[in-house]
Amino acid sequence: MTKKVTQYIFILSIGFPLLFLLIVSLGKKWIFPSILPASLSTSNWQIIQETETNFGTLFLNSILLSVSVSLMVTCISFIVSKSIAYSKNKTIYLILAYIPYLLSPVIMAVLFHYFFIIFNLTGTLLGVIIAQFLVAFPFGIIIFTSFWNEKIKAIEELSYTLGSSSRQTFIKILLPLAKNTLLLCFFQIVLISWFEYGLTNIIGVGKIKTLTLSVFKFINEANIFYAAFASILLIIPPMILVYINKKMLVFIENNNS
Amino acid sequence: MKKNFHGSKNNNILNITLINVKKNFKIATLNKIIFVILVGFPVLGGLIYAFLYSIGVFGILNNSVNFDAWIAVLTDIYFFKSLAFSLYVGIVSVTLSSVISFLLAYYWKKEFKGGILSTIIYLPLCFPATVMAFFVFQMLSQSGFVSRIAYYLKLTTAISSFPEIINDAFGIGIITTMIALVTPFFIILFTTVYQSEKVDELTALATTLGATRKQIINKIVIPVLFKKTAVTLVLFVIFVMGNYEVPLLLGRQNPRMISVAIVQKIQRFNLYDIPKGYVMSIVYVFFLLLTLGIVVLKNPNFFKTTQSND
Repeated sequence: MTKKVTQYIFILSIGFPLLFLLIVSLGKKWIFPSILPASLSTSNWQIIQETETNFGTLFLNSILLSVSVSLMVTCISFIVSKSIAYSKNKTIYLILAYIPYLLSPVIMAVLFHYFFIIFNLTGTLLGVIIAQFLVAFPFGIIIFTSFWNEKIKAIEELSYTLGSSSRQTFIKILLPLAKNTLLLCFFQIVLISWFEYGLTNIIGVGKIKTLTLSVFKFINEANIFYAAFASILLIIPPMILVYINKKMLVFIENNNS
Repeated sequence: MKKNFHGSKNNNILNITLINVKKNFKIATLNKIIFVILVGFPVLGGLIYAFLYSIGVFGILNNSVNFDAWIAVLTDIYFFKSLAFSLYVGIVSVTLSSVISFLLAYYWKKEFKGGILSTIIYLPLCFPATVMAFFVFQMLSQSGFVSRIAYYLKLTTAISSFPEIINDAFGIGIITTMIALVTPFFIILFTTVYQSEKVDELTALATTLGATRKQIINKIVIPVLFKKTAVTLVLFVIFVMGNYEVPLLLGRQNPRMISVAIVQKIQRFNLYDIPKGYVMSIVYVFFLLLTLGIVVLKNPNFFKTTQSND
């Protein structure tokens, strides 16, 4: 009985932040000590469409940015990771990949900011895409190194022995085998890009607007109702992902230490 | 004739295989070069630039090569304080979340394996750090939801009588947010490892051999789960340490977490602060390298073995 009750409390506590943000996003005038906002209506949601921050466009732009970064990372890291995984110096390469992966993206941005200024990439969409790519690429490598193992290598070699060309092997054997890992990498990078704040802010110098940046902007303007609405929009795509395939949301490293 | 035909076919296959091997070798070299350019160059290039800037080779105000910025940072108590504060937040957050996650993952193992909990535990992962920090702020600040309820229940008499747990000296707000962000992931991690390491079977075996419940938990479950996840937990301490968004929203000026401290130095209008910001980032990168080095030395297999995602 106690177990059941604690579990219900646990489930409620997980659902509560979402409910809370939803209520705040519908609210107007929330003066202390009222527990709930004075009035609740969808008017906030309508106003947001009309203001200079067009949320529809912002949402689509952010999706487009995340998807393009993720597509680039997934494709390139899939191909490059194969050589890394089968290399004799795999450990060294992997340690190299772990440095930018562990380093906070914002510190990475601080470190390579100068080069972005030289190449006139700051404040441009291309600059933000490249910066996010550089941060996410090592993670792509880390994800894919798990895929390239002895079994895959044996299957690949078998296909060559049976007369398959490298193109045929890649398209008909490796890609289907890697489908799940490719999807995992794609969604993981989409999330990284979608949630990114510090790096996008430094390289984009405020000119490139994403949904995560707008949450910050509203918080700084003390406009909690808009911030809550932007937060809800920010959470929707990952929630859809939970619905489609929740396992795409986490990447677990498995070490045999 | 027949023999020749087979012979030539075998030769053809051998040739194709050889061509593929050669081609793969070339591609492998090219791929490694691409890897070094995309992974090594940005960090190394950035570090070199940061170093040159810090000793006065670059920068508007730097006229001569000097180590003033290095001396200033390495003798600055606030810098070490912010490094220590970040480490404290990282260790406390990861320790508390791993204990909570372990207890939940162990006592509710069936529920996390299947059923509503196994899905609902993924929901908090949809929350980016920014949103979680915003939520915690709205909850725990002096004018937040909890404070309002406390007022309603007559536990407090005014806004100011609610304790300051956001922007506080002990980073309670930051740690709470980090726990909320990290715990669901740890629960999934422990549940996965619990199943992959067949802890249930080990437990059954130990019970047959006469072990008590306490012995099983202390000698089997805890060592297996924590040893298996040790590296991931250490890496999470580093992740939490380097977080930028959460301390930016919920932290205070002193002590500051390291990412916030570095960005503030570099983006400040005071040009004399920029070289110091670069010194701080170099020291931080070396701190990271040192930690990574220890992890590699203690767990050489971590970077060699395969990984799984289910």
